[in-house]
Amino acid sequence: MNIILIGINHKTAPVEIRERLSIDCENPDRSLIEIAGIPQIKESMFLSTCNRVEVLAGVADVDSAVENLKAVIFSLGNLSSEEMEKCLYVYHSDDAVRHLFRVASSIDSMVMGEPQILGQVKDAYRQCVEHNASGVILNKLLHHAFKVAKRVRTETGIANNAVSVSFAAVELAKKILGNLKGKTILLVGAGEMSELAAKHLMGSGISRIIVANRTYGQAVKLADDFHGIPAGFDNLEDKLQEADIVISSTGAPGYIIEKAMIASALRGRKNRLMFLIDIAVPRDIDPEAGAIDNVYLYNIDNLQEIVDENMSSRMKEAEKAEVIIDEEVLEFSGWLKTLKTVPTIVSLRDKVDEIIEGELGRSASWMNNLGEEEKENVKILISSVTNKILHDPITGLKEESQNDGAAPYIAAIKRLFRLDDD
Amino acid sequence: MMDILFFKIALCAYLISTLGYIASLLIGRVLIARASTWILLGAFIVHTVYFLFRGIETGHSPFINLYESLSFFAWAISGIYLAFQVKTKTRVLGAFVSPVAFLLMMAASASGGLGGDVSMPAILQGRWVTIHVILSVAGEALFALACLAGVMYLIQDGFIKSKKVSGFSRLLPSLRDLDRINHICLLWGFPLLTLGVIAGSIWARTVWGSHWHWDPKQVWTLIAWTFYAVLLHQRLAIGWKGRKIAFFSIVAFLILLFAFVGVYMFFTTSHRFV
Repeated sequence: MNIILIGINHKTAPVEIRERLSIDCENPDRSLIEIAGIPQIKESMFLSTCNRVEVLAGVADVDSAVENLKAVIFSLGNLSSEEMEKCLYVYHSDDAVRHLFRVASSIDSMVMGEPQILGQVKDAYRQCVEHNASGVILNKLLHHAFKVAKRVRTETGIANNAVSVSFAAVELAKKILGNLKGKTILLVGAGEMSELAAKHLMGSGISRIIVANRTYGQAVKLADDFHGIPAGFDNLEDKLQEADIVISSTGAPGYIIEKAMIASALRGRKNRLMFLIDIAVPRDIDPEAGAIDNVYLYNIDNLQEIVDENMSSRMKEAEKAEVIIDEEVLEFSGWLKTLKTVPTIVSLRDKVDEIIEGELGRSASWMNNLGEEEKENVKILISSVTNKILHDPITGLKEESQNDGAAPYIAAIKRLFRLDDD
Repeated sequence: MMDILFFKIALCAYLISTLGYIASLLIGRVLIARASTWILLGAFIVHTVYFLFRGIETGHSPFINLYESLSFFAWAISGIYLAFQVKTKTRVLGAFVSPVAFLLMMAASASGGLGGDVSMPAILQGRWVTIHVILSVAGEALFALACLAGVMYLIQDGFIKSKKVSGFSRLLPSLRDLDRINHICLLWGFPLLTLGVIAGSIWARTVWGSHWHWDPKQVWTLIAWTFYAVLLHQRLAIGWKGRKIAFFSIVAFLILLFAFVGVYMFFTTSHRFV
């Protein structure tokens, strides 16, 4: 049996093609059934996310299986073969295993290290099991993939450090203020990014939010979305005093928040730490405010720099991950190779057991003179002798299989022990 | 001689935990740091057992002479850190505490009390002197921790102010947690040291006839004590927080350290009981 993996992802296919495939693959049951219907395919799993559509399969005859698989995928996506060929990749054996491991470990993701993909692979595997489409190889392979993903996550920093501006803001807030529970956030002005950051911060435990806007009506409207407290700009100074985190993103041409305002707010709040995030361009908060003790001011460029640095450190971590994946691929292919010797070993054992049964049967008459304990001892003796005899040839066979040299030994064992072919 | 065996085991455990923390900082693996915390806990327990044996074997409270008080200092600072570890997530503080505990233990064994003469001068026997040493050293251990937290605060503050947050800064606790450690340490350390000094003066009265006699160690401790009194006032009443408190906690502890160690080197003092 051979392992193949065929698919498209965000690197090989533009979104127009991916969406056509994933829309048609929205009903994974149908796809699974069609794929499993291909006669050369013994086991198969179908993975569809917004960034990739992939089929993993254990097949008997690689070439015709690949042809048939392509045909099914083309028809599912309603795509011409010319269109598809360009973005389709096909991996065989070790390469297919490696690709799966990379996908599960989120090395192959658009945002490297993002955590969702592992869950998606697990879902795909669950569906595959529910449809009885998995067998010995896929079961082992997928569990191995989950193990690899876990190793990569714990042994490398691939998932560390925020790689979006709003998450970087959350991480910084935690670094400064510790636990965010019970903290207050002041949103000055509105904008997509500041609202996103506010949402992430609220997801981290912040429950109190004040929304300030130049026009009070606008503030009331926004505050509604966040279950917050609306405020106008006229009492901004009072509100600053309450805020542990300030996110500012107005369209104002000059500074809205002066250094003196921050200094007096800080006095009012007995020097409790303040984290100011200035997302606006041009800036809303006087950069001089960042020089005050216990005040930490970050603008959009500062946050972006952190994100860039984090991204490049993830890239470095990915190199470590590749090493781990290489190791694991080797381990899996070792297992796969011994798998070829399994039927021979099983029939060899069966034959030996049969002989033992037969001989014990023939000796039943004199064995009846023995006590129960002695009978048991004779059986134990026989099985330990045969085990000792079989141990070396079986180990040898497994060792040979690691260098792809098992075939002549399998033939020899079959010939010498007169083992029937399947 | 069971006590010495336990002392040596504790010393080794402090060393292992120190090396573990250093390794975890270098490699950046939390697992090693977690193991180091457990080893530190082990060291603390063995060290506790040591004190029990020492107390039973020598027949006097095992905290009195320089050797004992250094080792008690190591014990106290480890214990306080472990208590913090339970309450807050400030594991990396262990990387600062563990080496201090180890060095104190080294200093203790170098100061020659190990296995040597265990007899005590008569003036060092009695309840007040024991209370004096326990309270003072516990207070000083808390101040030492406030100082370590202050150092970490200044480092972390520097990183965040200069926008370098993706490297070593990641390993340090949040500013607010460090500030809270400082707060708690000052809050508890001050009354402990105060009571320790009072206990000491009661004892001094019984052996020397007066509560206070301007010994250099007493003077320097008084200076440090005054410094801490002001610091605590600024913190509680004026609302000093963060950087300023962190900085002055370090300065105050350096003065206290001088009273504890430096005075031995530069002055003659009646407070020398080795």
